[in-house]
Amino acid sequence: MNFRIDLPTKLALVLLLWICAFAVSWEAQVVLVLLIIMSRFAVPDFKPQSRRSARAFTRFLIYSFAVATFVLILNSLLIRGGSTFGSIGGFSLYQDGLFFGIRTASRLLLLTFAILVFFISTPLKDLIRYLQARGLSNSFALILLLTLHFLDQLPARIHQIFLAQQARGAPVDAGFISRSRALFSILSPLVLSSIVESIDRGTALELRGFLHRPTSTEESQSSPGQRNVLTLLILFLSLIVVLYTIAQWLLG
Amino acid sequence: MLKYIRERFAEELTGPALPFVAFCIALNLTAGQITAALKIPLYLDSIGTILVAVLVGPWSAVLCGSTANILASAFGNPAMMFFIPVVAVIGAFTGYVAKLGWFRKWYLVGLGGILQGVLAAIVSAPISAYLFSGVMMSGTDFLVLYFRSLGNTLMDSVLYQGLASDPVDKLVSYAIVFLLVRNLPLRLLSRLHGAVNLRTPDRAQ
Repeated sequence: MNFRIDLPTKLALVLLLWICAFAVSWEAQVVLVLLIIMSRFAVPDFKPQSRRSARAFTRFLIYSFAVATFVLILNSLLIRGGSTFGSIGGFSLYQDGLFFGIRTASRLLLLTFAILVFFISTPLKDLIRYLQARGLSNSFALILLLTLHFLDQLPARIHQIFLAQQARGAPVDAGFISRSRALFSILSPLVLSSIVESIDRGTALELRGFLHRPTSTEESQSSPGQRNVLTLLILFLSLIVVLYTIAQWLLG
Repeated sequence: MLKYIRERFAEELTGPALPFVAFCIALNLTAGQITAALKIPLYLDSIGTILVAVLVGPWSAVLCGSTANILASAFGNPAMMFFIPVVAVIGAFTGYVAKLGWFRKWYLVGLGGILQGVLAAIVSAPISAYLFSGVMMSGTDFLVLYFRSLGNTLMDSVLYQGLASDPVDKLVSYAIVFLLVRNLPLRLLSRLHGAVNLRTPDRAQ
């Protein structure tokens, strides 16, 4: 028995938070969002695994709160009902719209921050390894790993093609129609080179017999080790929240 | 059922298709860089899925779109995770119409793009309305609020917004993929499972 925050525990936590996004009041959702944000700084297991992840979190934090403010103001302006509580530029703000906006924003923030904290604190290669141990086929694992490779390569390749087209006089800075045409002069070589590279890589995979290799049973049958009590507790709590919500709904 | 799905994947995902699907997932996530550099107001976030649907097949396209959305969530756009059913429908529908040979004629591509847009709007509306109350953190939120201010229900407003923007977006994406695959040598494309969908009497090689 152990109480570590490992990958299955984080997945269970995402599940619990998603259930809470629909089952608990907006006040509780706001508290949960604040707890998630604090955990990113305070809990070592939820800290970003790379500088890129840390940047993505900060960017999303600023962006999401700007969007939440925007949602509150626009809903207060456009959904008319209840009493007014203020005005912006001569337009009245309505209470019904404000509460609808608060409920929407708190649910949106909880759903998105739950999944964001999971991904920034979990290296994708660890997730792929975990899924492989749970029976993900070698082909899918290879696709995921190759995607990460292409994601590293593509921006530089796009930039290279863009500069080459610019150098040979493609209208990348001209009017809208010319720029739309230039889109093809960038996409065509990009797709063509990717197909050629895919054929090379695919031939190499076929020659090495990758596609006919059975899924590794060594890893998929590996023992999950000690049961993580924390994961079980979170799953149990999720079940209780679901049952409580159903009971409340049935009792009116 | 599981055996059937595995067989379809095995049929489509032959040697070169594996790296190509991976490339298209990455293309879905980075195509925005090209449009941003060219200052074109398009997302093109499903162009990779459509390419896979046409050149590899529907099952791989569903995989491509779903994986792209999961990775988009991982890279800072967590709401994308909930729209996996929409990209799954885009992949499956495009793969199906490509199999019917619609990517051989420009007018069928146009029709397919519009139908795809309507279908995407219908599938995404309940997700957008019930999960996010119509707020998708994008410019189209203004349209939803506009329709709401006219007195429509939330579900109707989200659906109208989808029907107003999705067919145009998908029509453009279909047209781009059509022009792309048309200009690529069929001899090269024939290494991929779906290239048979593009073969016409005047384009045998």
